[in-house]
Amino acid sequence: MAKALEGIRVIDLTVWFQGPVSAQYLADFGAEVIKVERPQGGDQGRGVRSIKSLPVGDWNQYFLVINRNKKSIAIDLKTEAGREILYRMVAKSDVFLSNLAPEMLESWGLSYEKLSSINPQIVYATNTGYGRFGGASKPAFDMTVQALTGAMARLGEPSEPPVYLGMGSGDAYGGVMSALGIVLALYQRRRTGRGQYLDASLYGAQLFLAAPWLQSFLGGHRDAALQHSRKRAENPLWNLYPSAGKWIFLCEPNEDERFTALCRALDAPSLHADPRFASAALRAQHNEALIEVIEAHTLKRDHAALMGAFVSESVVASPVNNLADVVRDEQAWQNKYFMKAYCEEVQREVEVRGLPVTLSKTPGEINSLGPQLGQDTELLLMDLLGYEWDEIEALKSARAIP
Amino acid sequence: MSRALEDVVVLDLTQQFCASLSAAFLADFGARVIRLDVPPARLASDGKWNHEADLIHRNKESLALDPSGERGRALLHELVAKADVILTDWQRDELAALGIDYAGASALRPDIVFGRISGFGPVGADADLPAIDELAAARTGMMPILQQPGQPPIYTGAGAMHATVMLAFGVVTALMHRQVSGEGQAVDVSLFGANMYGAALDIQAFLAIGEGERFLNPISRLDVSNPMSGSLYPSADGRWVTLTMPDTDRWWPVFSAAVGIAVDDPRFDTHDKRTETHRLELIRELEQAFQKQPGSHWRTVFQEKQMSADVIEQFDYPANDPQVLANRYILELDHPSFGKIKSLGFPIFMSDSPARLERLAPCVGQHGPQVLHELLGYPEQTIHQLRAGGVVA
Repeated sequence: MAKALEGIRVIDLTVWFQGPVSAQYLADFGAEVIKVERPQGGDQGRGVRSIKSLPVGDWNQYFLVINRNKKSIAIDLKTEAGREILYRMVAKSDVFLSNLAPEMLESWGLSYEKLSSINPQIVYATNTGYGRFGGASKPAFDMTVQALTGAMARLGEPSEPPVYLGMGSGDAYGGVMSALGIVLALYQRRRTGRGQYLDASLYGAQLFLAAPWLQSFLGGHRDAALQHSRKRAENPLWNLYPSAGKWIFLCEPNEDERFTALCRALDAPSLHADPRFASAALRAQHNEALIEVIEAHTLKRDHAALMGAFVSESVVASPVNNLADVVRDEQAWQNKYFMKAYCEEVQREVEVRGLPVTLSKTPGEINSLGPQLGQDTELLLMDLLGYEWDEIEALKSARAIP
Repeated sequence: MSRALEDVVVLDLTQQFCASLSAAFLADFGARVIRLDVPPARLASDGKWNHEADLIHRNKESLALDPSGERGRALLHELVAKADVILTDWQRDELAALGIDYAGASALRPDIVFGRISGFGPVGADADLPAIDELAAARTGMMPILQQPGQPPIYTGAGAMHATVMLAFGVVTALMHRQVSGEGQAVDVSLFGANMYGAALDIQAFLAIGEGERFLNPISRLDVSNPMSGSLYPSADGRWVTLTMPDTDRWWPVFSAAVGIAVDDPRFDTHDKRTETHRLELIRELEQAFQKQPGSHWRTVFQEKQMSADVIEQFDYPANDPQVLANRYILELDHPSFGKIKSLGFPIFMSDSPARLERLAPCVGQHGPQVLHELLGYPEQTIHQLRAGGVVA
C-alpha cells in the first residue's frame, strides 16, 4: 500500500520522549527514520526499567514503542570522524530532528547554519524546552514545564494539590506539534525547493494543552486560572457523579426536556417538578442543591444499572473507566488505537499503542518495534553513505563508531 | 515570502473549539480557510471581546450560507468542488444529508482531503456516538487516577487539544501524499484516540504489564514512586514545588545541599535507599524541608543549580513571562475595538514561513461576496440575487 511520507529521510537525533515520538509519527506514515545514538548506551530511554515503581517487564515498552519503524546508527558525535558521518547523512536527508539543547548541537558542529551549508534544502527541526528566543536556560522535563503553563493549577477540587495531566502528556503533545511543523515545512519545500529551521518547544506546545481556559483567562476571566469544585458546576447536567460502582460523566445540556429524561432515568420522575429546578435558570441558580439531589440518586445504583437507565432514556453519559477497562475496549482495537506487534527482544507479539491518526488510503503501519542500538550502522555506512570497508575499519579505530 | 500552505483552500465546517482551532492552525501557515457559517448563527459577544473566536477563527474568511434549500445546497457543492481540504466535526449523518460526507465530497472533488474529528473513530459499534470530549476522556482510563486518593476523577480537556494538532498533522500528511500521487483521502482523528495518545505512558505501560494497583488507583503524592521525580511539595507560602530528577544519583549532592539534608545521610546515600527502602522517609523529610522557604526562594535555588524542578504557576505566569512573549506563544495585540489585549499565539516557529496573524475572527458572512467572486467566479448580480434570496447572508 502507498505510504504518505515515502521517500522522506529523517535524521532522528533525539532522546527520551518528545523528540522520539515526533519522529514516530513520521515513521508510521512511511518516512525512513534513522535514529542517531551515542555508542555508549544510546538514547537514555533505553535505560527505563520501571514505571510508577513497577518493573517494565521483559521488554522496554517506553523505548520500543515510540522508536518503532526506525533504523539505528551508532555514532560518537564528539569525534571529528563521527561528525563527518553525520554530515554525509545530512547531504542525503530531508529532515534533521533533535531535542538536544541548541548549545550542545552548536558545540558539536550541528547548527542550522552548518547543516544547511551542506544541504540547503534540509528541514531542521528542534524541540527546545522553552523556545528559540528569550534566553531561558534550564533543564526542561515534561512536568516541570507543565508546572509553568498554569494547566496543572486549575485542576482538582479547591485547596487540593495541583494535578499533573499524566506521565508524558506534554511530551506527547510537543511531539505531534513538532511532527506538524515538519510536514508543513516539507509540503512547502516540495513547491519552493527551500529548507528552513523550525522549533516546537515543550513550553509552547503545553500552553495549548489548556487553551480554552488560558485564552479565557487572557480574555479577562480571572477565575479560569483557579480550581473549581464539581459540587458547584454551573450546569448540574454536565458533571461527574459517583455511583455505587464507578463514577459517571453525565453530558447533557441544561434544557427542560433533557432534565425530564434524566429524572425518569434516575427513577425520580417528580423531581423535574420541584420548584427549585423547574427551569434552566433555576437549575443554574440552585446548582449545588441539584447536584446533591442527583448524587443521592446516582449513589443508589451501580454504574451498569445507571447506564442501562440512561441508555433507555437516551441520556448521554459514560462510565469513568479505568485502564483495565480501556485495554479491553473493542472500539480502541477496531480503530487500531491499540495493535499487536512482534517484539524481537522477547520473540513474541506484544500489545502497543497504535495509530491515532487514520488515513483512509495511506494508513500508518507498524513494521517493527524500536531498533537495537546501532543495528544498521554498517549497512547505512555502506549502502546509503558509500563508505568502503577499509574506511569503516578506520572509523572503528577512531572510535567514531562502535 | 512563501507560506507553507499558500496553495491550499480549506472549507471549515466546524462547531467545536478543538476542530475550529485545527483549521486556524492551517490558516496561520497560509492556507485560505473559508469558514462556512451555517444557521443557527454564532452568538454576538454582547460588547465584550470575543476572545474565543479571535483564537479559533483567526486568519479565516467567513461565508454565511444556508444549505437547507436547493440553491444553498448546490452552492455548497460548488464550494466543495473548489476546495482542497474539508475540515469538519459534524456527525456523519449530518454530512450525508447535505451530500458532503466523504463519499459525496469526493464525488464532487475526487482529490479532496477530508479531515474530520469524530468521537470514537471511523469504525466500530461506537463510531457514531457524539463527539464529546468528556465522553471520550471517560473511556480513556486516566480520569480515575490523576487526582489524590478520595477525590473525584479529573477531566483535563487536554485530549481535545491533542485532537486539534493530530488532525492538522493528518491533513498535511495527506496533502503530502496528494502532492505526489494526485490522490485525496479521508483523515479521521477521534477524541477517544487523541485522549489515549495524550495519556501516552500509563496506557502503554498497562498494556504491557497488564496489572498493578498503581495504574488503577490514584497515588498519593506522599507515596510517589520517586521522591525526587514526579513529586509535589507545598512551600512556605502555599505555592507548590515539583521535581523531575529521575536519576537521583546524579542530583543528590546538589539537591541534598539545597534542601538541607546531609549528602552522606546514611538513610539516603544510594538511589535504592532514596527510591525504595527509605522512600517514604525521604518524602516526609522533603515535605518539611520545602515548607521552610517560599516558592520564590525555591525557584532561585533551582535556577542557580540548574536543577530540573520548578514552582507550579497559574495562568498569570505565562501571560507575563517574557520568554512566552519573545517566542510569540502569546501575542500582545492592539485590537481595533478593545485596545491592548493578549491572545494565544503560535506554538510552532518556522524561520522562513512563520505563522502570521493577518486578521482576527471574521464577522459572520464578512467575506461572502469575495469568496463567491474569487472562488466560483460569480458576477455581482448573481451574488446580489443569492443574498436577496437568503441563500447567503
